Amino acid sequence: MSEPTQTPLVKPLKIAIIGNPNVGKSTIFNQLTGLSQKIGNYPGVTVDKKTGVMHHQGSTYEIIDLPGTYSLYPNSEDEIIAHRVLNQLTEQERPDFVLMILDSMQVSRGLFLATQLIDLGLNLALVLNMADMAEKQQLEIKGFELYKALGVPILHTDARGAKGIEQIRDLIHQKNFSKPTEFLPVGEYIDAQSLTDVKEKFEIQSDYQAYQILRFGPKDKGISIEKREWLQQKTAQLGLNLDAAQLEETKLRYEKINSIVDQALVKKEIKERKSSAIDKLILHPVLGYALFGIILLVIFQAIFAWASVPMDLIDGFFGDLSGWVSSSLPEGPLASLIADGIIPGIGGVVIFIPQIAMLFGFLAILEDTGYMSRVVFLMDRWMRPFGLHGKSIVPLVSGVACAIPGVMAARNIGNWKEKIITIMVTPLMSCSARLPVYIILIGLVIPDETVLGFVNMQALALLALYLLGVVGVLITAFGMKYILKTEEKSFLMVELPSYRTPRWKDVVITMYNKSKTFVMEAGKVILAISVILWVLGSYGPPSKMEEIRVTAEQRLSTATSEEEIATIETETSSLLLENSFIGIMGRAIEPAIRPLGYDWKIGIALITSFAAREVFVSTIATIYSIGGDLEDDSTIREKMNAQINANTGTKTFDLPTSLSLMVFYAFAMQCMSTLAVVYRETKGWKWPLIQTVYMTVLAYVSALITYQIFS
Amino acid sequence: MTADKLPISKSAIIQSIADSPLKINLMELGFLPGKTITLHHIAPLSGPMAFKLDETILALRKSEAALLDIQIL
Repeated sequence: MSEPTQTPLVKPLKIAIIGNPNVGKSTIFNQLTGLSQKIGNYPGVTVDKKTGVMHHQGSTYEIIDLPGTYSLYPNSEDEIIAHRVLNQLTEQERPDFVLMILDSMQVSRGLFLATQLIDLGLNLALVLNMADMAEKQQLEIKGFELYKALGVPILHTDARGAKGIEQIRDLIHQKNFSKPTEFLPVGEYIDAQSLTDVKEKFEIQSDYQAYQILRFGPKDKGISIEKREWLQQKTAQLGLNLDAAQLEETKLRYEKINSIVDQALVKKEIKERKSSAIDKLILHPVLGYALFGIILLVIFQAIFAWASVPMDLIDGFFGDLSGWVSSSLPEGPLASLIADGIIPGIGGVVIFIPQIAMLFGFLAILEDTGYMSRVVFLMDRWMRPFGLHGKSIVPLVSGVACAIPGVMAARNIGNWKEKIITIMVTPLMSCSARLPVYIILIGLVIPDETVLGFVNMQALALLALYLLGVVGVLITAFGMKYILKTEEKSFLMVELPSYRTPRWKDVVITMYNKSKTFVMEAGKVILAISVILWVLGSYGPPSKMEEIRVTAEQRLSTATSEEEIATIETETSSLLLENSFIGIMGRAIEPAIRPLGYDWKIGIALITSFAAREVFVSTIATIYSIGGDLEDDSTIREKMNAQINANTGTKTFDLPTSLSLMVFYAFAMQCMSTLAVVYRETKGWKWPLIQTVYMTVLAYVSALITYQIFS
Repeated sequence: MTADKLPISKSAIIQSIADSPLKINLMELGFLPGKTITLHHIAPLSGPMAFKLDETILALRKSEAALLDIQIL
């Protein structure tokens, strides 16, 4: 959106890459652009806009990676984007050339899209990728025959082995694209005369483009309402049956393609693919699920074991940084804002990177090997009764580590309703941030004893909390299935690609891009909320706060031992928090949380842990003036155990209250980072707000029931 | 008969596709009259069915397979 005056004299040429899913399109894009990729947004949809820069022989080219699609019929958001960009309805997106990637093993399906592109009148070149696979399968593709039939330049590549990438660069550099004549004249399935007005109205040349606009334009929000209405009237006025025309087009197109493929493809030998043997194990009705369980276990084990190292480092680094800032800057609100508001806020964003990167690394490997589609195949039957899709399994499973990558992974689900339900329920899975809260409360009230000879009570309680999350997911999803309405029909139709070794470069780029997206887009919201929480937590009515400080100074001036000073300091920070705005809020909500068994001190912890659930532990430590080493749970536990609830006169953290708290944390949306990611993925505040309200109500009611049963 | 009733490892030729909003999706994937499909695998409890079509394996829900009218080979 730069001003015309700022536009450089020579704008880089734009090349769009398009192809069916699983054809190695992204690998080629990665090879051409490396890490010079940018992820942006298309207006109005959640699809990422991936662009990159390619340098070749002193020239610069802008490469756009369009989402994978089987046709130009816009069924999903991905396809809407491909449709919109290639129909060149918005000047800004218009590519100069289109590079289409085909799978050498599935030429006819690829040609379906390719010939649609030809008919749109685009400047096109084709890349027959995975040439190695075709060779192994004894499949010979006569490129020249294809060229003769289509009139488009054709390259053979093997992107996995990085073969042919130089040729692609050369082809782009030499602008070796061509705009052939129509493949399937529109006149064969619709009265071409009727399109004249459309062509005039939209100032376009190609019949096929006019037909596409007439067919799909009325539903395309990228077109002005006036034009959409005009299209609807036009269709009615002409009395066209466009559904029938589309079916006829598909049939004729494939007929014509098949006659070309018969000429151009020679299959020398029928060989059983090795996929069949592996599928017998992977898709086995019992072993298949067992294997999936084992793979998940290994992944989570790895994430917990490996991610904790960088996470501790990040935590330590930001802790030190904030300590350094507060000691080297002159004391005052600015130092406090930087040290206690902004630095922990940034730290709170960065801390998620190891988990996000690792989870997406594993997901990319599973996706790339062809295993993920098999999981979708196995799980679809189990997900569907709950209004979810086979693809929902990935977000839900990721949610056990962290809801953030889970919600981010939901974008692969094409159907709007299934995607929203998945995003809504994923944060109910028990994530790793709940673990510290669970562990401290379980240690407090559940005896460390074995029942039935081998079952540890504490382990059992932890398992019950995880299952509670799963039950919450299933019930919520089931309910939402009946509430949300959509005209979109849910369908599976997923390809089970042949097994392959993962492409490590692509895996690394995925990890990098996902982390970057999270930091750039969700990071802003997280930082903003952190600062707000800091303000509320460190400021209160000035006179009261001043009074606490003065008293503390007086006591400190008479203090005699190190120990006494430490005690006074912890007591003061406790008093300051109690009298801050958050403290006031904690007191204000006390009437509401009293039926759950909480006092206002717990209320404060509920509010502060909105930053992240594990903050519960540190707030409790501050509020109960627990000094010393916070890493040592037993100190906190002892102090907590000694607390007396002012309302009831009994122990604050007795069994009913602790259970009620655990249930509350299992369900409540106590995570601003998840909120920020849901905001990003749904492109608005509607769903994150609904989600927060829903989860809070669910947590409240469940905790209330729990408390009332056990007290 | 329809493709959801095809026994495992058996092949059939697609005769026609029933009218449905999903008809076009099936066709664009290559499920076309005259094509041969082979049942590669079936997920438990009436789960999705994986068909071999040309060189690829495509998974369909049972309800989607039921749209394909087939002649068993």
